[in-house]
Amino acid sequence: MAVPVEDPNKEAFLERVRGALGRSTPIMVTPDHPTLKTTLPRHEEKVRTTKARTEARRPQNVARLETIATAAAWHVHRAADAEVAANIVAEIAATIHAKAVVRTAEDIFKRVDIDSTLRKRGVSPTVLASGRARRKTDLKDIAFKADLGVSGVEYAIAETGSCALFQRKGNARITTLAPPVLALVVEESQVLETLDDFFAIVRFQFLTNRGRLPNYYNFISGPSRTADIEQTLTIGVHGPGEVHMILVADA
Amino acid sequence: MPEVKTSRFKSESVKALANDNIQRALGAPFAHFVDGRKSAIETDYTEESWDSMRDRAAATKAHTIERLDYYLDLVDKNVRRNGGHVHFANDAAHANQIVLDIARQNEVKTVIKSKSMVSEEMGINDVLEKNGIEPVETDLGEYIIQLAKETPFHLIAPAVHKTKGQVSDLFEKFLDSAPTDDIEKLCIIARDVLRDNFTKADMGISGANFIVAETGTVVLVTNEGNGRMTTSAPRIHVAISGMEKLLPSIEDVGLFLRLLPRSATGQRITSYNSFISGPRAGTDEDGPEEFHLILVDNGRLNLLKDETLREALSCIRCGACLNHCPVYRKVGGHAYGWVYPGPIGAIVSPMLTGLKEGKDLPYASTLCGSCRDVCPVKIDLPKLLLDLRHKVVKSGASTMPERLGIGQWHNAMKTRKKLEGKVRLGRLLQGLIARKGIIKRLPLPVVSGWTKSRDFPALAPRSFAEIWRDELSGGDRS
Repeated sequence: MAVPVEDPNKEAFLERVRGALGRSTPIMVTPDHPTLKTTLPRHEEKVRTTKARTEARRPQNVARLETIATAAAWHVHRAADAEVAANIVAEIAATIHAKAVVRTAEDIFKRVDIDSTLRKRGVSPTVLASGRARRKTDLKDIAFKADLGVSGVEYAIAETGSCALFQRKGNARITTLAPPVLALVVEESQVLETLDDFFAIVRFQFLTNRGRLPNYYNFISGPSRTADIEQTLTIGVHGPGEVHMILVADA
Repeated sequence: MPEVKTSRFKSESVKALANDNIQRALGAPFAHFVDGRKSAIETDYTEESWDSMRDRAAATKAHTIERLDYYLDLVDKNVRRNGGHVHFANDAAHANQIVLDIARQNEVKTVIKSKSMVSEEMGINDVLEKNGIEPVETDLGEYIIQLAKETPFHLIAPAVHKTKGQVSDLFEKFLDSAPTDDIEKLCIIARDVLRDNFTKADMGISGANFIVAETGTVVLVTNEGNGRMTTSAPRIHVAISGMEKLLPSIEDVGLFLRLLPRSATGQRITSYNSFISGPRAGTDEDGPEEFHLILVDNGRLNLLKDETLREALSCIRCGACLNHCPVYRKVGGHAYGWVYPGPIGAIVSPMLTGLKEGKDLPYASTLCGSCRDVCPVKIDLPKLLLDLRHKVVKSGASTMPERLGIGQWHNAMKTRKKLEGKVRLGRLLQGLIARKGIIKRLPLPVVSGWTKSRDFPALAPRSFAEIWRDELSGGDRS
């Protein structure tokens, strides 16, 4: 893809900003800001220690994720293995009498086989991915009609009870947004401790291989909510009102 | 740009004080904000103290704003590298034109919007409507005030002044829905209408809570999911932001995501955060094919030029200073007469739209300092308000009686002798109006307002200085 052209107004605009700041020449070196001025080897080292700490503290992180997510109105389920996890998803579908289920095409579903578990109960999930549902409008239509959306995650963050999802092939964002009930399958090895850990990893990916970082990623940290009428909390406005997090123990 | 009514602050305040709905809305809901923030800060995060986080955030913002040209250049380069378009808009009209051009090129008929304060500055909805394009707000609060044809009452709770009855009436009038006093039902009515718009809209307009320069990433913070919907469902996504919203690195975002929701609603984090760096890539399943970022000046240079007031550009629009302001909590958001109310609005609105019209706004403060104490980026709001008052006086916008009165005061305070002389004069004159040490009514222009609702204590028969001199100093007056 060609890089879009520069706005012809840019230089004059920046000139005025510079003038307002009392400078006449542009800054040519990377400013001395702690999160910006770090060398790649140093950042690599930071990410390595982050990952080692995450590994060492996994049980505590998973427990903290469970506590904080529960406080934020997630339904958290612990699954001892992939089979149990698939059954939990099927159970959720049964409880809400789901007729239409949509899911992403992530690798997690090779391990957590929700398709056959759901089929046993008479529901056949639709995979919202190219080649299976052809056009984008189809994806939207199918997703808006679904009762349950199921997806894996890239990471979960204990500090905030969040799931981080990356957009990529096989991973339509509408899957986790349109259906009224959402189930996210999280592997314990994906659980990070803090927001800072997440952003350190993201920045490392950006610095080392920009292409691996998608143009869109997002956190889901609870059910869709509003308090816009009389400050009264109401759950489930535009996004799912019921959210499940299924934590699968490591294989 | 929407009409600037900042000159009507006093008369609009009087109206707001007499409006029962507004007074009710300013009560309990705001106690909710205040308590929520307090408990979120006290009970929650322990790794780093709240104060230390505020210090770091203030430093990060100051760093960025002092080098704004550098970071604007960086964000431009990176968003374009990601395949997005970047536009630099000098003012509201310019920004509106950019949006219109994008809409026309793509034959856009319906635009869905998630909350953006800058788009309020631009009055974009009117402009789109005049050009045959239907704008639909998707944040529930914004949608309600769009139907009511009003401006936001609050930065993060735009329709907090509306009762459920009023919302039901609006929905009945515009959406043909059955009247209800069930808030959940009202939400569902709005959701169903908005859902149709999500499927048919060709363009989504969002704001930006933060923009990361190094990665070229727009960060959105929402609770309803409308932000995700607006930036995912339509073919084109346009993000509009004030030019000051930049952060250097994605690693700065964690800090600000801790500060913003806690300060705003008392939440640990909001339900949704989106990180958008450009359009969908070739293999992505969905998302917009085109991404535009519009960086807007619209008077921000006036703040940037001023070394004192520049600090106001650090604002992250959490609304905490409104929630804790004794003036805002009585007069509400509309009295301030433009897009930004409360203490931060009293600085930003006059600087963006004209100090002459907005000269009363810097005085809409008791200088109690609550705003400064709760500000997540430690903006010294009372200092800025005082500085702005100074500018109002310097610009000759003060009234004649005010100048006369302050001149007299200044003169009387110059030396002890002069002060004591004035006090003696005052004691003589107050004999006409003081009863039992109290003045019930000050019979002077301007100051008479003071005694409308309270008594003025009369000057004591003898001042402390006199008592000290005559009796307490032991006569040893060397």
